Amino acid sequence: MDESRTIDILTNKSTDRHILISFHMNGRMLELSVEPTMRLIDIIRGQLDLTGTKISCGIGRCGACSVMMDGHLVNACLVMAYQVDQSQITTIEGINTNNQLHTIQKAFLEEGGFQCGYCTPGMVMAVKALIYENSNPTEEEIKEALSGNLCRCTGYGGIIRSVQRAIKEGMNKN
Amino acid sequence: MSQQANKYTRNHRVRPDGAAKVTGELKYLTDLKREHMLYGKIVRSAYPHANILSINTKDAEQLPGVEAVITYKDVPGLNGFGIVMPDQPVLCQDKVRYVGDAVAAVAAKSPEIAERAVKLIRVEYDPLPTLDSPEKALEVDAPLLHQKGNILHQASYQKGDVEKGFEKCIDIVEQTYHVPRQMHTYMETEGGVIVPEANGAITVLVGTQHGYKDRFQLSRILNIPEEKIRIVSSPIGGSFGGKDELNIQPYAAILALKTARPVKIHQTRKESVISGIKRHPMKITMKTGVDEHGKIIAHQVKIIADTGAYSTLGPAVLDFAVEHATGPYVIENVNTEGVSVFTNNGVSGEFRGFGGNQVAFALEGQIDRLAEKLQMDPIDFRRMNLRKRDDVGPLGHRIAKTNGASEVLEGIASLYQDKKTNQEPERWKKRGTGIAITMHGGGLGYGRLDPAGGRLSLNEDGKIEIAFGFEEFGQGILAVIEMIVTEELGVSADDLSIVIGDTSLVPPSGSTTASRGTSMVWHAVQRMKTHFTEEIIQSAAKQLNISQKHLRMGKGGIYSDQYHSKPLLTYKQLVKHTSSAIVTNTSFDFPTTPDEVDGGHFLYTFSGVMAQVEIDLLTGKVKVIDLDQVIAAGPVVNKIGYRGQIEGGGVMSLGYTLMEEAFMQEGKYITENLDSYLIPSIQDVPFALGVEAIESLDDGDVYGPRGVGEIGSVAVAPAITKAVHNAIGYWANKLPISSEEILNASGKRSVTSWMKVGQ
Repeated sequence: MDESRTIDILTNKSTDRHILISFHMNGRMLELSVEPTMRLIDIIRGQLDLTGTKISCGIGRCGACSVMMDGHLVNACLVMAYQVDQSQITTIEGINTNNQLHTIQKAFLEEGGFQCGYCTPGMVMAVKALIYENSNPTEEEIKEALSGNLCRCTGYGGIIRSVQRAIKEGMNKN
Repeated sequence: MSQQANKYTRNHRVRPDGAAKVTGELKYLTDLKREHMLYGKIVRSAYPHANILSINTKDAEQLPGVEAVITYKDVPGLNGFGIVMPDQPVLCQDKVRYVGDAVAAVAAKSPEIAERAVKLIRVEYDPLPTLDSPEKALEVDAPLLHQKGNILHQASYQKGDVEKGFEKCIDIVEQTYHVPRQMHTYMETEGGVIVPEANGAITVLVGTQHGYKDRFQLSRILNIPEEKIRIVSSPIGGSFGGKDELNIQPYAAILALKTARPVKIHQTRKESVISGIKRHPMKITMKTGVDEHGKIIAHQVKIIADTGAYSTLGPAVLDFAVEHATGPYVIENVNTEGVSVFTNNGVSGEFRGFGGNQVAFALEGQIDRLAEKLQMDPIDFRRMNLRKRDDVGPLGHRIAKTNGASEVLEGIASLYQDKKTNQEPERWKKRGTGIAITMHGGGLGYGRLDPAGGRLSLNEDGKIEIAFGFEEFGQGILAVIEMIVTEELGVSADDLSIVIGDTSLVPPSGSTTASRGTSMVWHAVQRMKTHFTEEIIQSAAKQLNISQKHLRMGKGGIYSDQYHSKPLLTYKQLVKHTSSAIVTNTSFDFPTTPDEVDGGHFLYTFSGVMAQVEIDLLTGKVKVIDLDQVIAAGPVVNKIGYRGQIEGGGVMSLGYTLMEEAFMQEGKYITENLDSYLIPSIQDVPFALGVEAIESLDDGDVYGPRGVGEIGSVAVAPAITKAVHNAIGYWANKLPISSEEILNASGKRSVTSWMKVGQ
C-alpha cells in the first residue's frame, strides 16, 4: 500500500456527491473519495480488499466486523465514511508487528478459541480492546467485553480459555 | 476435559488452518475477487404461495452497469435442484411455494447497482392460500403444493403389539411436544465466486459439504458434463448441515456463463434467513407406559414434520427421527409413525443432529415424566430400561456391539452426585438440575449410497500427499487428517501435504456430513498405510541398495534400523529418483448393518448431559450455569477439536432450548436478522463447560474413532428442560422455553412448596 493514495469508488452516481476523507488505516495514511454514507466495512473489504474483517449480520449484532477506531471497538457495519475522516482505524491485519503473532492470537491458536474462524478476527479485536483497557479482567468483565461478538462454533469455551491464557501470559503492551 | 492421552492425543498440535484464521489472512470463498468480476443478486418471491402471472425485467436490463438478468428461460438444463429429488425450481416459472423461491437474478458491475436492478424487476403474482402448518396442508381441500400431494414422506416402525402392551401398563404418560424451526446461523452467509473457463467449463468457488454432489447437481442444471465443472469448496465459515444443499451456486453459475465473466454472490443475513434451510419443526406425540416393575413396555410415537416447500433431505431426516424415537432404551412394544408434510413455510433440511435432537427432547421428556409418576430416581429408571452391550439397534437391526449407553449414564450419574447439592443463591432465584442421555447413528444408514475414499501419494515436491473429498467448515477435519496420518505413518506434519475440498484434486469421499469425516479418514488411512509404506520402502530400497527389512519411514525421510539420527534418504530425494509414481487409492463404504433395514445405522455414539439452571422468578429468565457432557465415541483424535465440537454443539442446543426460533407468520419470516433471531452470546453460557470422553471401544471393535460433530447437540434440550422442572416444578413441552411461560408457571404455583421428586 502506498503512503498516501486516492481511490475513486466505482459507482454510476455522479461524483459530486462524494467527499474526500483521510484517515490512518493500520498506521498508514489514506485518502479516499467516497459517498459520505458508505459503510466502513465496505471501505475495508470492498475498496481496500482487507478481508480479515468479516461481514455477517450487517446491523451491529454479531461483531464479525469489529475494528478499532481511535482506540475503541466499533462495528464497521455501523460506521459511515464521513465519521471515518481524521480517525485512526486498526483492523486484524494491523495488530501483529514484525509478522509475529500477537499474544492474543497465539492464545487462540493454542486453546482452540476458534473453529470455522469467521468470527475470529472480530473476536481477537474485541479481546485486544478489553485487555488494552483492563489487563486483568474478571469473569464478568470478560463476558461484558465479548458480549457483542457472536461465535456459532465454539460455544465460547475455547474463547474463554484463550482469553484467560492471554491474560495470564501478561500481555499488557497494547 | 478429563482424559488419558492416547497415541493421537499425546502430542499437542495446533490446527493446520489455525494461524491463517487467527490473523485473518485466510481467504474464505466469500472474500475472493477476480478481475472483471460482476456482483450477482437474487430476486426472491414476494409471497409464500402464489401463481406468477408475469416477470418483467426490461427496466433492470436497461440500468447502466447491469450485465445480465436471468429468469427461468435462462436455465440451460433441468430447472430444479435437491440432493435426493430435484423438486425445487432454480428459477420459478409459474408458481412460488415459499418466500425463498427465486424468480430472477441479476449480475452488475457493483453490489449497489445489482441492488437497484433487483428493485426494478416487476413480478406480477396471483396470491394463493398459504399453507403455513402441516395441519393446514393435510386438510382434504388444501391446495396441492406438488403433483403427488402435500405429503413428502411417511415412515414407520412396528415392534410387538403396542395396544396389548398398554393394557398391561400400570402407568402411562402421553404428551405432545413442539420443537421450533432452528437456524444454523453459520457466521459466514452463503456465497462465493463462479468463474467461467475455456471451452464452456466453470470453476465454482462456493462452500458446500459435498463437492462432488454439487458438481452432479450443477451439471444437470447447466447442461454441461460434470468433468467441466470444478468445485472448490473450502474453507467455509460454518455450515452445521446448512450448506450441504445448493444455495447460490446455480444463479452465480448461470450468470457467469451468460456474461462470460466471474460472478460473485454473497447473501446478506436477511437473504440467508429467507432462503436458507432450517431444522425441521416437529410436533411429536408420545404415549409411553410402564409395567409394575418399572419396565417400559409400550411406546407409541407420532411425528409430524414441517418440511416446508421442497424435499431436499426431508425424507432422510424423518427416517432418522423414526429410528431414534426409542433412543437407547429397549422396549417390547413400539409403534412409531412419522409424516413429513409440504407447507408454504421455509424449507427444512439437514441440520446437525438430523432429526435426532427433536425426538430426544420428546423421548427424554417422557422418561422424566414417567420417573416422576413412579416416584423413581430418573437415573435408576433409565438404568432399568437401558440397552445392553449385545442388544440390537433401535430398528431391531444388528449394530456394532457397544456398552456406550450404560457408560454415559454412569458417567453422568457420578457428575450428578457431585453437583446436585448446589445451593439456592438468593430468595428470588431457584436452581435445578437435570440429566438426559441419547444414542446417535453415524453415516447415512442402510440402503443409501454412502461411499468413502482417499488417496495417499508421494507428490513431485517430495511431500506425502493425503487427499480426501471432504470440506473444512470449522469442524477441524484438517487437524484430524494431520494427526491420523502422521501417527499411522510415523512421519511429521512438515512431511505432509493435505488436499481437500477441490474436485479437480481429490478423490470422492462422500459427504462431509453425518459425523462421518473422522471415522472415514481413519478407515481410509488404515486401508492405505500398509500398501503405501511398502511402495515407499521398496522404492527406497532400490535407490539405497539396502534390504527393505532394514528400512522404515520416519520424520523427514527413510531411516535404517542401524542409524537413527538422520534419514538416509529424504522424501524429496526419494521422489527425484523414483521412476514410477507412488500412489495408493482406496474406496469403500461407510459400515452399515448387515440386516436389510432401510436407513438403519451401524455405528452409534452416545452422550450423557447434565444441566444446571438458575431461574430468576422475577424475570422468568432461565440461565444455564452448568452444562456437562459425557461422550462415548471411541478414541479421541484431536483433543481440542473434540472438546470444541461437544461444547459448541451443547451451546447451540442451549440456544435451541431457550432462545432460538426462526419464527414465521403466514409463511413469512418475522425474525429476519440477528436482532430478533437470537443465538447464545458469551453472556448466555456457563463460564466452564464440562466434557468427558469415554474412549474405550468394545473388545473386537475394529471401527476406530467415531465422528462427534453431532452428538454434543442431541441430548441438551431435555437435560435443561428437566433442570427447569427440578427448579420450579414446571414441565415445558415446547421449545424454546420462554420467560413468559416460566413466569406464568411459577406464578401459578406456590414455588416454594413444590416437592422436588426424583432429584
